[in-house]
Amino acid sequence: MNEVTSFLQLVVTAMVPFILAAQGTMIAGRAGVFNVAQEGLMMLGASVGFLVSLTFGGNLVGLVVAGLGGGLFGWFLGWVTTRFRLDQFVIGLALFFAAAGLASLLYKVVIGVTLQPPLIPTLDDLSVPGLSAIPLVGPVLFQQSAMVYFAFLLSGGLYWLLYKTNHGLKLRSVGENPKAADSLGVNVARTRIWCSAAGGALMALAGAYLPMTYTGTYTEGMVAGRGWLAIALAFFGGWRPQYILAGSAFFAGMEVLALRVQVGGLDVPHQFISMLPYVATLLVMMFALRWARIPAFLGRNYDRESRTSH
Amino acid sequence: MTTTTAPVQTPPRTETRAGRGNALARQVLAYVVAVLMAFVVAGIIIAALGHNPFDAYRAIVTTSFKSGFGLVETVHKWVPLVLLALAFTIPLAAGKYNIGGEGQLLVGATASAAAGILLADLPIYVLLPLVLVCGVLAGAVFAWVAAWLMDRFGINEILSTVLLNFVSFGIVDYVASEVWSDPAAGHPTTIPIGEGGLLPLVGRPPMHLGVLLAVLVAAAVVVVMRRSVPGFELRAVGANARAAQVHGIRVGRVAVGSLVVGGALAGLAGAIEVAGVHGKLIEGMQSNYLLLGIIIGLIARGNALAVPFVAFGIAVLEVGSSAMQRSAGVPSEMVLIVEALILLFLLFSDVVGARLRRSSR
Repeated sequence: MNEVTSFLQLVVTAMVPFILAAQGTMIAGRAGVFNVAQEGLMMLGASVGFLVSLTFGGNLVGLVVAGLGGGLFGWFLGWVTTRFRLDQFVIGLALFFAAAGLASLLYKVVIGVTLQPPLIPTLDDLSVPGLSAIPLVGPVLFQQSAMVYFAFLLSGGLYWLLYKTNHGLKLRSVGENPKAADSLGVNVARTRIWCSAAGGALMALAGAYLPMTYTGTYTEGMVAGRGWLAIALAFFGGWRPQYILAGSAFFAGMEVLALRVQVGGLDVPHQFISMLPYVATLLVMMFALRWARIPAFLGRNYDRESRTSH
Repeated sequence: MTTTTAPVQTPPRTETRAGRGNALARQVLAYVVAVLMAFVVAGIIIAALGHNPFDAYRAIVTTSFKSGFGLVETVHKWVPLVLLALAFTIPLAAGKYNIGGEGQLLVGATASAAAGILLADLPIYVLLPLVLVCGVLAGAVFAWVAAWLMDRFGINEILSTVLLNFVSFGIVDYVASEVWSDPAAGHPTTIPIGEGGLLPLVGRPPMHLGVLLAVLVAAAVVVVMRRSVPGFELRAVGANARAAQVHGIRVGRVAVGSLVVGGALAGLAGAIEVAGVHGKLIEGMQSNYLLLGIIIGLIARGNALAVPFVAFGIAVLEVGSSAMQRSAGVPSEMVLIVEALILLFLLFSDVVGARLRRSSR
């Protein structure tokens, strides 16, 4: 396998947490719920996914439980911001702390402090018969773990849901103009709550992917800002699933590039290379973000009895 | 971002003195109830984990007050917490979320350490002010970068401040392991700064004078926020940016200014950590002050006068958490969950309070 192929293969592998977390941010945001707990929910997903997989053996159950846990947090965010109209940022930050604390707490309770942390098997690569034989494209796209296929199919599914179905139209209307949606009989609160729950679940899945792909164990700080970058990615992708998918290639590319340059021994101190993804994100947002349109009611709660439409 | 809802709910202003007293009593009651409920829920979790919640709470609450050392440790912890909480609260008053206190603290600490190492031979009355000023300026400049990105390019300030945190990690790591590295430390650490750059210690057990500095700064912030024109403009922008603009307040400039001042305070926290606590720059010295600062700011509901008191409570919890882990066997992360629960219950108390008032009317 040549240099280019292996680089691209790593990029696609690294795309998954960005895709999942950013699509989760997007689906909640399109319904008007701005979740800022990504970083914490990814930690929680990583911890829970690892611990459950270790206890029950088998990564699928770990992924499912992590997703359910994240979904619960997302549901809670949706519920308190619609039912009680509490501030979305403040609740989101509170959930971030709670999830981050819970992640470390659960790990310490189950594993304790050990020099040699236990490991879970990482996800197997599944080759798609036939397609994986194509040069370049085959190894890059079709010799990956199931989660890679899931992330790509999810992005396609979300595009179809949002733009090709009646439900998607209603969902988008809730994030753009909930009053109009409400008057047409769309259940604004329910839409928001379940979109937020789905978003939380995706964020936790993004976290659970990390120990199952890279380390085989949970370490504090393993999320390393990917959750915050996912918010940036949602803005960068204009809150549209197809552009988020494309944008995640850029974010993952930066991450892999930073690792590559560190290993490759370029004459630049590795500390500066490690800043690369974050600086690049800021630069891109400076110049490429002008066109991005955010949902009109993003981060704002809907009050049915308010007299103004805004 | 224009979609931010007003984060701080000010209670309706009641005209009479008795009415104001009632409002204050209601607020204090809300805090008491929220803290109690958080401890009850966390106690259930602790019990479910198979530990004794009362032992755990005894360790948490008493460690700070059992000995002079405990109290000084708590007060030393209080300094960065109160400064980072103010770094979050001041922009919050203008409706901006500064999640970059960590980066601003680290860059401030780096600049302080640089000044303290490069000019190590200067006498204290020159070097110490220089060390502190360098920290403040560096924090302010770092926050200004985020503010400029927000103002000029419309980048959400939550993102620009957060992403710069990660940039600051690289800066600290580089300075501590390449530029002025202390190879004996076994962890990215710089060599000590000059004697003249250290904050004087007073009392027994020794307490550094950064504590006094933090008290003065916190008092000054309260006065400026409540009694000055910039403070008024800040609150006006936070309450209703459009109305403020119509009345001739430069909204963009106020928002940028609030972030820069916040960064300056976080930078001061970094400088005090270097000059008062460590005497050098250490990778990871920021601990989890960012999270705690945000929690304190939110629990204080953006009220600058409440921040120092809430910060002291959180400092007690934090100092007690390691004692709890030692004596009761409960992981110290439990404290983070307690703090999140206090915040959530406090927010819920608004809802409940509003209901009660409506039904009693």
